[in-house]
Amino acid sequence: MHPLGVYVHFPFCLQKCGYCDFVSYETAPAAAGSGATLAAIDHEAYADAVLAELDARAAGLEGYALASVFFGGGTPSLWEPRALGRVLDAVRRHFGAAGAPPEVTVECNPSSLDGDRARALVDVGVDRLSVGVQAVDDARLRHLGRLHSADEARATLREVRAAGVPRLSADLIYAVGDQTPASAAADARELADLGVDHVSAYALIVETGTRFGELARRGRLPLADDGAMVESFFAVDAALAEAGLEHYEVSNFARPGERARHNVGYWRGDDYLGLGCAAYGTLAQAGGAMRWRNVLDPARYAAAARGATPLAPAAEGGVVATVEALDAETRLRERIMLGLRMRDGLDLAEAAAAVGCEPWPRERARAAERLVARGRLVREGDRLRVPHEAYVWVDDTAAALF
Amino acid sequence: MPATPRLVRNFSIIAHIDHGKSTLADRILEFTGALSQRESREQFLDKMDLERERGITIKAQAVRLAYKAKDGETYQLNLIDTPGHVDFSYEVSRSLAACEGALLVVDATQGVEAQTLANVYLALDGNLEIVPVLNKIDLPSADVDKVKQQIEDVVGLDCSGAIAASAKTGIGIEEILEAVIARVPPPRGQDPDAPLRALVFDSWYDSYRGAVVMLRVVDGTVRKGQKVRFIATQAECEITEMGMFAPFPIAFDALGPGEVGFIAGNIRSVHDTKIGDTVTDAAKPSKLSLPGFKDVKPMVFAGIFPTDSAQFEDLRDALSKLRLNDAAFVFEPDSSEALGFGFRCGFLGLLHMEIIQERLEREYSLDLITTAPSVVYKVYKTDGSVMDVENPSRLPPLQVIDRIEEPIFKVVIHVPATYVGAVLALCEERRGIQKGIQYATSDRVIITYDLPLGEVLFDFHDRLKSASRGYASMDYELVGYRADDLIKLDMLVNGDPLDALSLIVHREKAYQRGRDLSSKLKEIVPRQQYEVAIQAAIGSKVIARETVRAMRKDVTAKCYGGDISRKRKLLEKQKEGKRRMKQVGNVEIPQEAFLAILKID
Repeated sequence: MHPLGVYVHFPFCLQKCGYCDFVSYETAPAAAGSGATLAAIDHEAYADAVLAELDARAAGLEGYALASVFFGGGTPSLWEPRALGRVLDAVRRHFGAAGAPPEVTVECNPSSLDGDRARALVDVGVDRLSVGVQAVDDARLRHLGRLHSADEARATLREVRAAGVPRLSADLIYAVGDQTPASAAADARELADLGVDHVSAYALIVETGTRFGELARRGRLPLADDGAMVESFFAVDAALAEAGLEHYEVSNFARPGERARHNVGYWRGDDYLGLGCAAYGTLAQAGGAMRWRNVLDPARYAAAARGATPLAPAAEGGVVATVEALDAETRLRERIMLGLRMRDGLDLAEAAAAVGCEPWPRERARAAERLVARGRLVREGDRLRVPHEAYVWVDDTAAALF
Repeated sequence: MPATPRLVRNFSIIAHIDHGKSTLADRILEFTGALSQRESREQFLDKMDLERERGITIKAQAVRLAYKAKDGETYQLNLIDTPGHVDFSYEVSRSLAACEGALLVVDATQGVEAQTLANVYLALDGNLEIVPVLNKIDLPSADVDKVKQQIEDVVGLDCSGAIAASAKTGIGIEEILEAVIARVPPPRGQDPDAPLRALVFDSWYDSYRGAVVMLRVVDGTVRKGQKVRFIATQAECEITEMGMFAPFPIAFDALGPGEVGFIAGNIRSVHDTKIGDTVTDAAKPSKLSLPGFKDVKPMVFAGIFPTDSAQFEDLRDALSKLRLNDAAFVFEPDSSEALGFGFRCGFLGLLHMEIIQERLEREYSLDLITTAPSVVYKVYKTDGSVMDVENPSRLPPLQVIDRIEEPIFKVVIHVPATYVGAVLALCEERRGIQKGIQYATSDRVIITYDLPLGEVLFDFHDRLKSASRGYASMDYELVGYRADDLIKLDMLVNGDPLDALSLIVHREKAYQRGRDLSSKLKEIVPRQQYEVAIQAAIGSKVIARETVRAMRKDVTAKCYGGDISRKRKLLEKQKEGKRRMKQVGNVEIPQEAFLAILKID
């Protein structure tokens, strides 16, 4: 049995954040007067569409053990827990009979989460919440375009903890404008003090096509320089280490036993089934793997998922917007890129055997040698990992081993 | 059965790039029925892909056509194509020597260009009958009378018999063929039993036949099975195959005086069959070689290095194969502290260099670093000896140098009168010595300068084009060597000399060059994990310094299911870029850096 992660995308938010390049659509409350015409979310209809897609996709899948389910977005905490629960039940029915119970995570925003909502989610089977706190400072939250204040974020975390959510994670964005490393560390420390088990900390990346991207292009966004970013990276790392959270992936920290199993699946190169509008999925198949992405428009997605041929390309009335075939070499490159992000690194021989190709062509062996000499990489037999202090070079290191 | 010389005409076409030579050749092939329209893929005579892409003829070709003229006789026409670039002017001169006449094709919308003129002079020197053809008369901007007048003024050619034509639409093609019959004389030297003398005007390597030689018989007869000798190279072979292209190959057993054809006989390489050499009978050799043979010497040298040192042997194989087919190309092993093991290669000129480089990368899939080209300097030492230095990093220590001489080219530039000032300024800036300014017409000027080749190499042509909005054309030839105040400029990266970037430069220009080169390198060398110092130095004296700031991180973005493809593609691209980088000490230097000198102005 191969482990399988299931990702369900919920493409709606109350308001789009300035830095966000995920597929999400602002819904009625905040969009009034913005010129966009947005209907209120039809919770059950979206669930029905996802269920229709699930039925179609699950029909051909065998030999998988459900390891995790992740509701991402958008803001899935806006989704009626009952509707979300129907999707979760169906996923478990299709894959989840055997083995340990899967990890079930829902991404939440403090503005759409309280104790009642948390309890309702736990009741339908959710055991982990990932809360988009992003900052514990009002000015910075406003700058980022968040709808909550620092106090609201603190209150939400406390309520959620009290509501009996078994596992709790919070997101943090640092190196925002002229933010100092000390301020980034203070934010991280406060999250740890509030009792979260897991922190995802991201340096602010300005993506094109976002409001921040547009501001930056016009030179109107204060940006942190490389040096400040690196100092913040290590300041956050030190603060969380002191609070007992291990830096187990470039952007992720966890108390012992609290690593995000769903995300670890991505970094190991496990298969994942994407469901919902704009979701990505990747499944192994003879000689390689297939990656696809669903259409980005929610209405179009819903119609196609419930149509006669849900798994057809979008042009033929299905949900599939793009397809990418991955050969064995490409899959191994991905496993290197992803595996090196983890503290434990990867066993290259194992990864190569799993995808069916040569682990050590001459060029890669030589590149590894050079990287080791420069302190960028540690090699123990076939196991490769990036030393902690060289984390900030991990992409370049991975590229050198491609 | 050799043809009656009376019914043979050998001619070629002289034209500037883009003036329509290849289209005209195609149209002639079609008109005589040698090629159906369907077969005449665009521009049949340009055989190699590269030529097709660049629109330049690199190797000469010859085609035999049968033409039934208005006088009722069927003539054998041999159309001998000539290479269209100044790097190959010697080959042009030999192709012309195989002809009795030439069509001078001039674009009726553009007028005469420098390169055309150079080739017309070559043709006139060879006593060829020249038939002016004004092409592209179908275009509204064509001005036949003005261009005729210009040809008369500039070339000194009677244009009363000029033919107005359009290779594109087919106007004038028959008149052109009739003019070839009537005006181009039949071949001279008509004794089929005289000792054999034939002129080699092209040769190429074919993996089945060995070197294939295009020749023009001057005296005597060449036959299949005959043992022949190449007088200059002393190579001998027995002819196993002979024939001609019409345009597809046809075989025959003998070629008589005045005829054109190819021979093959397991000759190992084109170095045995040099263009301009004379083929004679091995048993009954003629004592006299045909005039005009020149052993062409490369003028421009550059280092070619594999990015991955493991490709050294592959590179050697590829260079050897290219050399089989290119008598003007030379190479020898070279090593550089910065670039490791590679080869020093010699070319006729910059275009020749680009062609070879592109073929190595395209046909042999090699990742290469090519250093900036250098000319050959003559270094006179204090002990009285002279050495040729074609690699600046090999310049002997200053104290043993008496003087350095550099190759000087006579450069002839044709330019509209409006741009004369800008062109003169450019030539002066490049250390030129003015030799003449001649008004060809009231608005066309011919400027002649003696310029150091080293100055012509570095983006002179681009600068000339931009100084004249694209209207200037130029031609050049070596006239000799001249001493000047030349010194060696070194570039250092974190204190390590980049020997491949050393250059020999005039003292007065050294400071500017050093500063420009440092700041260009600063742009090109990517930020690394530590500061990188870039310095320019003369001897031990640093004359310019730039610093590439350290890069502290690459990226630490999130990476989940939806990010994987995008990120992987980004890293794949990054890796591809790195492939072209060379590690110098601790610093990764991209290929571009080694050509930085070409990019400053």
